[in-house]
Amino acid sequence: MNYPVWYLPTVGGGTLIALISIIHVFISHFAVGGGLYLVLAERKGLQENSRAILDFTKTHARFFMLMSLVMGGITGVGIWFIISLVNPAATSLLIHTFVFGWAAEWVFFIVEITAIFVYFYCFDRMDARTHQIVGWIYFIAAWLSLFLINGIVGFMLTPGDWVVNHNFWSGFFNPSFWPSLFFRTSVSLMLAGVYAFLATSYLKDPTLKFTMTKYSAKWVLLSFLPAVPSGYWYLSILPNQVRALVEGASLTIQKTVQYGLYAVIILIVGTLILMLVKPAFHTKPVSFIVLVSAFLFMGAFEWTREASRRPYVINEFMYSNSILKKDVEELNSEGFLHEARWVSLRGVKENNLLEAGHEIFKNQCYACHTIRGINNDIAVRTALMDYPSLFNYIGKIHEVRYFMPPFAGTEAERKALAYYIIKGIQGKDVAAPEQRQPTVSGKGKELFKTHCTLCHPEDLVKTKTAAWDRNRIRWALDNLNRLQSAMPDYQGTPEEKDLIADYISSLKTGGVAETHDEGQEVYQKNCAMCHTLRGGENPLLPRITGWSTEKIRGLLDRLDKLQGGMPPLQVPGEEKDALAGFLAKSLQGGSR
Amino acid sequence: MTTLVPMPDTMPVAREYFQILLMLVFPLHLMLMNAMLGSTAVALYAGWKRDAVLSRLAHELAKALPFLVAFTVNLGVAALLFVQVLYGNLFYVSSILMGVYWLAVIPLLLIAYFAVYRYDFRFLSLHGAAKALPAFALLIFICIAFIYTNNMTLMLNPLKWQAYFHNSAGTILNLGDAALVPRYLHFMVGGMAIGGLFVALFGRLKRNMEPEVRVAAENFGMGMFVYLTLLQAIAGFWFLMSLPQKVMLLFLGEDVAATALFLIGILCVLLVLVAGIKKKMYVCAGLVVPLVYIMVSLRAIVRDGYLKPHFSTESLHVIPQYSPMYCFFAVLAVGVFTIFWLVKKAAGSFQRPQSKE
Repeated sequence: MNYPVWYLPTVGGGTLIALISIIHVFISHFAVGGGLYLVLAERKGLQENSRAILDFTKTHARFFMLMSLVMGGITGVGIWFIISLVNPAATSLLIHTFVFGWAAEWVFFIVEITAIFVYFYCFDRMDARTHQIVGWIYFIAAWLSLFLINGIVGFMLTPGDWVVNHNFWSGFFNPSFWPSLFFRTSVSLMLAGVYAFLATSYLKDPTLKFTMTKYSAKWVLLSFLPAVPSGYWYLSILPNQVRALVEGASLTIQKTVQYGLYAVIILIVGTLILMLVKPAFHTKPVSFIVLVSAFLFMGAFEWTREASRRPYVINEFMYSNSILKKDVEELNSEGFLHEARWVSLRGVKENNLLEAGHEIFKNQCYACHTIRGINNDIAVRTALMDYPSLFNYIGKIHEVRYFMPPFAGTEAERKALAYYIIKGIQGKDVAAPEQRQPTVSGKGKELFKTHCTLCHPEDLVKTKTAAWDRNRIRWALDNLNRLQSAMPDYQGTPEEKDLIADYISSLKTGGVAETHDEGQEVYQKNCAMCHTLRGGENPLLPRITGWSTEKIRGLLDRLDKLQGGMPPLQVPGEEKDALAGFLAKSLQGGSR
Repeated sequence: MTTLVPMPDTMPVAREYFQILLMLVFPLHLMLMNAMLGSTAVALYAGWKRDAVLSRLAHELAKALPFLVAFTVNLGVAALLFVQVLYGNLFYVSSILMGVYWLAVIPLLLIAYFAVYRYDFRFLSLHGAAKALPAFALLIFICIAFIYTNNMTLMLNPLKWQAYFHNSAGTILNLGDAALVPRYLHFMVGGMAIGGLFVALFGRLKRNMEPEVRVAAENFGMGMFVYLTLLQAIAGFWFLMSLPQKVMLLFLGEDVAATALFLIGILCVLLVLVAGIKKKMYVCAGLVVPLVYIMVSLRAIVRDGYLKPHFSTESLHVIPQYSPMYCFFAVLAVGVFTIFWLVKKAAGSFQRPQSKE
């Protein structure tokens, strides 16, 4: 809200960050482990007095130099570029807090560049001892870069005491610093082995290929030994909420972890088979499979780490949409549009709902959601909702889903956001279609449209009031807030309420009123945002089709115990009864 | 509308430290960038001519280009870091406004980087269109420079940021700015001139090149330096005239220090020209380094002049914590020592014949 938003609704900033950073993370870890690999492979060549191994090391060094300097170096700058474009507030905070950490990292970067140039271009020119020292300098500088970046990246997930004291050292040596450092070091060693594995598949000399394949495979497997305990250590220090997300409270993370696991298995099997059983099987396709597995494993790890940080970009301090945790209360009372710097309007009015909603979407939702894009499409996420259910959901979004930031703004702004999503994005009409109502005066209809349809489509009101007589409707108009706490009382005159009551009452006679179903309403408010009842679109339906009301009712009490991290259904028992009845009825004859 | 200027974050040490650090690394980045630009242009010209000596010069420059790109980028990173600390709240906004172009710098740089490596590693086997690799890289470099000039001028003009409310897709350029083109030319022509000087020095100092190649480098480089410096005087004058009046007047008497520095700069240019015409290469180089530092200082005065009504680094709030800075200085000292040692060992290894083939 302090900065403008680079708005590419169908692409999404997150997609761009992911694209650049996964490539960079992969290469940069390789650049660390690869340094050690080069030095030790060269030493092996020297000890065994093998010209072939030394030549292999030199060729590998050239590939390594190109990969780490060009791809690694430029994509590293690319991460800086993209995070400052997508999340300038968080970037600015990281830069200002850790400026001397970054500056020191730059020093290691320039040492790395110099060392790898000297290492490659002076291969066979220097005496072996000096050349080995140059290799070690490269590796140490690269590892120290990792040391520094690890502190800053870890800070975002576990800022620790920094949140209170804002001290550089508290933020840097944060709770996940050491386990993450060990884990990343192991992973970087593993990646170096995997890359070398690829390189050895291109070797023509069978003896050399055999020797270096075995050497690289051992390298990969040995690097796993510290990766397992340090990974476990890493997991154990995560805050409860974060750990819950990693351990299954988020379906997407659960899937990612699964893929990561498969990748590790392929990786281990690939290297074990190649090393222990048949090094001769080592072909280019196999080494590519191992490389892709390593890439997937790394991607899964980084993605999980990023995703589990949600709803924050800096845990417990700044939300993913750059809103500070401490500011939410003020925004709720003063209004987001009033407080934000880069918005085109300063408040919600009846004639600017779409525009206001769009501004709010851009500033609060777009950080994670695209509009009809590949990543977290808001149109898909809200496809099943109607206006009231979405309005209601936005209000308690952070309670229902821990990984969502709370909505920050006034009730009118929340309405505008829901209005924009339903009308502007979904294209659904918030107001009911025009119908001929000859018995009702135009005035009542006009009042209804002005004051009620913002939240209540005509159909919904018609359904809801189907069993009510005119007196009850009139009574309800005096007690709106009692009917629904999110609904403000109507502030008009008694005469206006009479006219509206007449109009609502007339809807029954003019339309095809359905029987009111309380269970359906509970479903709309609490379930529809994630679970459709349309056949073919919800894989869970066949599993509960045909269940009795009682069985479904029992299930509704233990949703949070189910796999997949459902939140508990926090509604009164009667509403659960109604919902169970509705679901049983809906699913009796199969899904609708 | 100055309310669009975002609230800056607090700094851990006094702003002067960052200003000094920025002033230290930015001219280094510029000089390397100039060397990269000039070498690419000369390599292109030399490779194009059907002349055996020039072709060998192109080959020698091709070998140097990957180093120049690597260190230009590296020092650019340091400059960008300190710019973000001092002017991040302006710089992020202008970057976002032109996000598409700004991000395009990354793939463009990657392509150019690979192009110069390919040019180096495959030089002897290149034929046909592949000989245009340096043209390709040069085109990318001047595009990147244009993107940078846009960003660096857009960040100085908060009044132009209103354009965001009509276009938030990141495709705004600062094309309407009268100072954009002269500023860009000022940097590019000046950069090429210093690049020429680099090529001449390269010829003088790289002793393992054949004597006729060294002479060609010196002659061509110095000629390029002199002519482009003359042209640069015109571009510089145009740039000065294109500045908003309040900024221009700073150098014309309104601000004594700025005017004095400006005059010293002009004097330095004249001396450099005389030295260039007389082919006093080391004198030239010795004067160009302080000249670049003076030009960067003038640039900083221009920047602050533009920003005056909207933002000043004096308003930046400091919550002091100095220990990380001391650690950085220690790391820097060790780093500089290590680089010195590495370069010394590398230079030593090239002075004796290769141990093995």
